[in-house]
Amino acid sequence: MEWFDALVQGILLGGMYAQYALGMALMFGVMRIVNISHGDLVILLSLIGISMATAWGLAPVSVLIILVPLAVLMGWVLQKAVLNRVVGSDPLPSLIATFGLSIALQNLMLQIWSANSRSLPGHGIESQSIEIAGVYVGVLPLIVLAVATALTWGLDIVLKHTRFGRALRAASADVEAASMTGINPRAVYALATAVAVGILGFAAVFQSLRSTVAPADGPAQLIYAFEAVIIGGMGAVWGAFLGSMVLGIAQAIGFRIDPGFGVLAGHLVFLFVLATRPQGLFGKATT
Amino acid sequence: MSAVSYAATAVPEVQVQRQTPSGRIAMTLALAGIVAVAVMPWWASTGTIRSILVLCCYIAVAQMWNLLAGYAGLVSVGQQAFMGAAGYALFVLAQTFGINPFLAVFLSLLVPAVLAVPLYLLLHRLDGPYFSIGTWVVAEVFRLVCSNLPIVNAGAGMSLRVMKDYSAFERNVAMSWLCAGMLLLTVGGSYWLLRSRYGLALIAMRDNPVAAASQGVNVAKLRFLIYVASAVGCGLAGAIYFMAQLRITPGSAFDPMWANVAIFIVMVGGIGSIEGVLIGALIFFIADRWFGAYGATYFVVLGLMTLLVALYARTGIWGLISKRWDAPWFPIRRKLVDPNRP
Repeated sequence: MEWFDALVQGILLGGMYAQYALGMALMFGVMRIVNISHGDLVILLSLIGISMATAWGLAPVSVLIILVPLAVLMGWVLQKAVLNRVVGSDPLPSLIATFGLSIALQNLMLQIWSANSRSLPGHGIESQSIEIAGVYVGVLPLIVLAVATALTWGLDIVLKHTRFGRALRAASADVEAASMTGINPRAVYALATAVAVGILGFAAVFQSLRSTVAPADGPAQLIYAFEAVIIGGMGAVWGAFLGSMVLGIAQAIGFRIDPGFGVLAGHLVFLFVLATRPQGLFGKATT
Repeated sequence: MSAVSYAATAVPEVQVQRQTPSGRIAMTLALAGIVAVAVMPWWASTGTIRSILVLCCYIAVAQMWNLLAGYAGLVSVGQQAFMGAAGYALFVLAQTFGINPFLAVFLSLLVPAVLAVPLYLLLHRLDGPYFSIGTWVVAEVFRLVCSNLPIVNAGAGMSLRVMKDYSAFERNVAMSWLCAGMLLLTVGGSYWLLRSRYGLALIAMRDNPVAAASQGVNVAKLRFLIYVASAVGCGLAGAIYFMAQLRITPGSAFDPMWANVAIFIVMVGGIGSIEGVLIGALIFFIADRWFGAYGATYFVVLGLMTLLVALYARTGIWGLISKRWDAPWFPIRRKLVDPNRP
C-alpha cells in the first residue's frame, strides 16, 4: 500500500514536471535550442504572480488568467531579442546567451524578492484531499495532472492538425525547405517560444501553489524538465509527458526509501535510461 | 583530374616559421610569470599568495573549458563535477588515509580521469545543447552522492586538519609550486598541444568538425581525449583550490559558480585562443576584487555581459584585438618562408 501510494504521488508529481518539460521539448524539437533560463522563467513568473496576489488579493485563477498572457509575451520578446540571433547549427551561442540570461535573471530576482521562499495563497485548495481506493490524493495535484494532460493533448492536436503546427513541423524537419514553401521560420520560431513560455505560465501558478519558490530554484526545474524530455524520448510531446511521469515516480519512490535519495533517484533513472536506451523510453531510434 | 606532376626534387626549399617577435616577447613574459609564481613565498604575503592562487585556478579552469567548448565543440556547464571529485579525493586520501597531502594532490587526479571515461561514453549520446545540461546533471549527481556518503562525512563536509603539521612557510612554498605547475600544465600544455600535429586537427575541428573528419581527423576520439584531459585539468585546479581552502562541503565542491566563471572568462576574453583566457581571467579577477562586494548586482552585470558577448561579439576581446593588430602572444600558425626570396 505504501508503494502504491508512492506510485500515485509520483504520477501526480509528474504532472507538475510535464508542465516544465512540454515547452523544452517544443523548443528543442523546432529550433535545436535549449533555453538554460527555462527554469528561471518559471520562478520569475511565480514571483510576479505571488506579488500580484498579495498586493491585490487575487485568487489563483485570476493570477493564472494574467500570468499566461504575460508568459506568452515574455516568450515572444525572448525570441525576438535573443534567440533569433543565436539560432543555428552551432549550439554554443544559444547556450551561452541563455546561460548569461539565467545568471542575470536569478540575481535580479534575488535583489527584488530576496532569497526567501514564498508561495501563492490558495485559499484552502492546497490542503484539500479526497480518498480514492484507500489512498488520499490532494485535490490540487489532481488539478495539476489534469491541466498537464490537457496541455499535452492540446499541443499534440495543434502540432498535428493546424496550419501553425504544420509550419512548425516543417521548420523543424528542414528550415531551408520550409522557407522555400513560404514559411517564415523567424515567425514560426517566435510563436513556438511564445507557446513554450506560455505553458510555463501554468507551471508557475501551480508550482507556487503546490510548494514554495525562491529565486535560486530555477536550475533544478530546468534539470527536471531536461530529464523528463530525455527519459521520454526527444521530439514527441507525449514522450515528454510520459518521461515526466517516470521521473516523478522515480523521485517519489526514492523519497520513500530515504529523504536524501529522492532527487538522486530521479537523476539515476535518467542516467540509466541514457545508458540503456539513449533514444528515450518512448522515442524511436534514429539510427 | 589533370595531373600536374612535380618531381620529388622540385619541392621549393622553404623554412617553416613558427615563432614571431610578439610570440618571443610573450613567451619570455609568460615564463617569467610562472617563475614569479613559483617563488611567491619569497616576495609575497600569505594574503597575496591566496589571491594569486585563486587567479591561477581561474586561468586553469577557464583554459580547460576553452579546450572543451572552443576546440572540441563540447559545451560543458558541469566541469565543477571534476573539481569537486578531485578535491574530495584529496581530502579522503590525506585526512582519512593519512597520505602526504602534497603527494595526495597528484594521486587525487586519478579520480576525475577514471570518472571522465564512462561519463563521456554516456554523455556523448546527448545531442548538442542537451550534452551541456547532461554535464550539469552529472555535477548534481556527484553533489547529492557526496551529501549522502558517510566516508566523506555526508553533508557536513570535511576539514584538512593534517595541514597544520606543516608551517605556514612550507605550505606557501607548496602552494606556489603547485600553482606554477598547474599553469605550466594547463596553459603550457595547451600551447604545446596546439602547436603539435594534434593542434592542426583541433583547429580544423574548431572551424568545421564535418570538414575536419573528411580530412582524416578522428573527431570522436579527439573529443573523448579532450574531455578526459579537461577533467584532469579541472581536477588539479579543484585539488589545489580546496587544499588552500582547508575545507570542503558538497555545496562548495560542486558549485555551479565555476561554470559561470569559466564561461564568463572565455567568452569575454575570446573563445578559441589562449590569449583570450589570460585577458578574461585578469578582467574577472580584477572585477571580482572591485565589484564582488555588490553581490547580486555584480552578477546581474556579469550575466548580461555574457549574454551581450554571445549576441554581438562572439570572438570576445581578443578577437577584436587580433583583428586590428596581428601580434599573437602564443603563435600557432605555420608560416612558410622561402629563404631564396627575401
